[in-house]
Amino acid sequence: MNYSIVTENLCKYYNGFLALDNLSLKVKKNEDVALLGPNGAGKTTTLKILCGLIRPSSGAAYINGINVVEERERALSEIGAIIETPEFYSFFTPAEILSYVGKLRGMHERELKRRAKEVINVVRLDDWINIKIEKFSRGMKQRLALAQALLHDPPILILDEPSLGLDPRGMMEIREVLKEERKKKTVFFASHLLTEVAQICKKVAIIDHGKLRAYDDISRLRKKYRSFERAYLKLTEGAI
Amino acid sequence: MSEFEKLKIVTRYELLKQIRRKRFYGVLTITVLAVVLTIGLYQGLDLPRRIGISENVINQQGAEVFAIFVTSMGALAILGAVFFAGDAIASEFEHKTGYILFPNPVKRNTIVIGKYLACFIATATILIIAYLISAGALLVFYRQVPIGILGSLAIALVLACFVISMAFVFSSVLKGGMGATIATLLTYMVLFSVISSSLAYAGYNPWFMPDRAGDAMTATYGVALGQVFGGMGGGGHTPGGMLQASQNPTLSFFVLLVYAVVFFGISIWMTKRREMI
Repeated sequence: MNYSIVTENLCKYYNGFLALDNLSLKVKKNEDVALLGPNGAGKTTTLKILCGLIRPSSGAAYINGINVVEERERALSEIGAIIETPEFYSFFTPAEILSYVGKLRGMHERELKRRAKEVINVVRLDDWINIKIEKFSRGMKQRLALAQALLHDPPILILDEPSLGLDPRGMMEIREVLKEERKKKTVFFASHLLTEVAQICKKVAIIDHGKLRAYDDISRLRKKYRSFERAYLKLTEGAI
Repeated sequence: MSEFEKLKIVTRYELLKQIRRKRFYGVLTITVLAVVLTIGLYQGLDLPRRIGISENVINQQGAEVFAIFVTSMGALAILGAVFFAGDAIASEFEHKTGYILFPNPVKRNTIVIGKYLACFIATATILIIAYLISAGALLVFYRQVPIGILGSLAIALVLACFVISMAFVFSSVLKGGMGATIATLLTYMVLFSVISSSLAYAGYNPWFMPDRAGDAMTATYGVALGQVFGGMGGGGHTPGGMLQASQNPTLSFFVLLVYAVVFFGISIWMTKRREMI
């Protein structure tokens, strides 16, 4: 099994609106791929299907060869995810949130404590670990979201605009974390920030109106269209 | 890890959520105050004689009559269940906390059951505290605790199960927790009451209506309701003989249990189908 993520002819309708149109792509193990596209292109819909949050209208999605619809729980045990801008239970502390999701992912107490400390340090929330989340800014919540995604050291990271809501320093820090993680994990993340994508990934899947327009190395797209920006603009010409 | 282990984790953290919220302490305070005030007013103002309960009943079943008054106040906790359960599911979608909870390797059924158990434990805790205060007062004033108090508590607990199930149905369907809470309150306090009253006026015994549980809770003490409440309202008679149709507690218990199971099943099914759009 060479692929971490596979989507086969994925279609999704929202009350008659076609959000994904036969999307097929394969992400190899330990590959880092960005899902790039304008607003409403179908990026988040794709990630939500992969995380079992919504069902595809047709087609199939696989995580490490496991069908996400048929064996949802088994497939989800392989991933760490951030979808949209997640919110947390405001009367919990980061330590409690990490304890909750870590236990649900089958982590043992000692391992959980060690990893919680590690990931909190990675996202630089050490001083906030026992503070209630109701006091957190949006950027801090985004950092915590990344911490919970990394907690159980999953082989696959699925991230929806992971640097959303972060200040420039926060964005740089998150990018550094992802650059480090991609060495040992498959990173599949959605973004519409070309610079971020170019910094983190080698490969990009450009989608527009739910359709896959290109799936190639960024270097090859640069060569073909003379710049990454031009490639993006050309391939998403029909976008609003 | 087994689903049962996961269920224990979900229940534990959902219970922690309930306990951290101000509404838990709000409902606890209101319920305890209501029970204590009822005890004080009942004894201080000699309520049974003032509302026209016969001397015969007061002398022979004084403890039971007192228990009817104080434990009915404890049932206020059941209204609290609506507030605990109303947003249990809806808030995961409304406040987007589901984006953290749902992409975990745990079945939606397990999450719903865990949330249900947490709501039930929170409600049951308040109910039991209220009943313990009532039992304490009975011991102080009458040196006895009628056995009917256990039946009354059992019906109150199963009524809490039903109310939580109904709130879960609304919570699994509606967008917001507030809407689900209001819909549950309106259905239980208005819709069911209107249907029950209409049936009673038409001469049918609405034994199958869940709102009849209130009567069943008092019926466990073995005091005829007409003897207790017949004198209320200036000694007039209640219309249509509605109060004379005392509810069978055992029947009520099972009616509520069936409702609770059916509504809970519906809420699980709806939550499983609901997409995190």
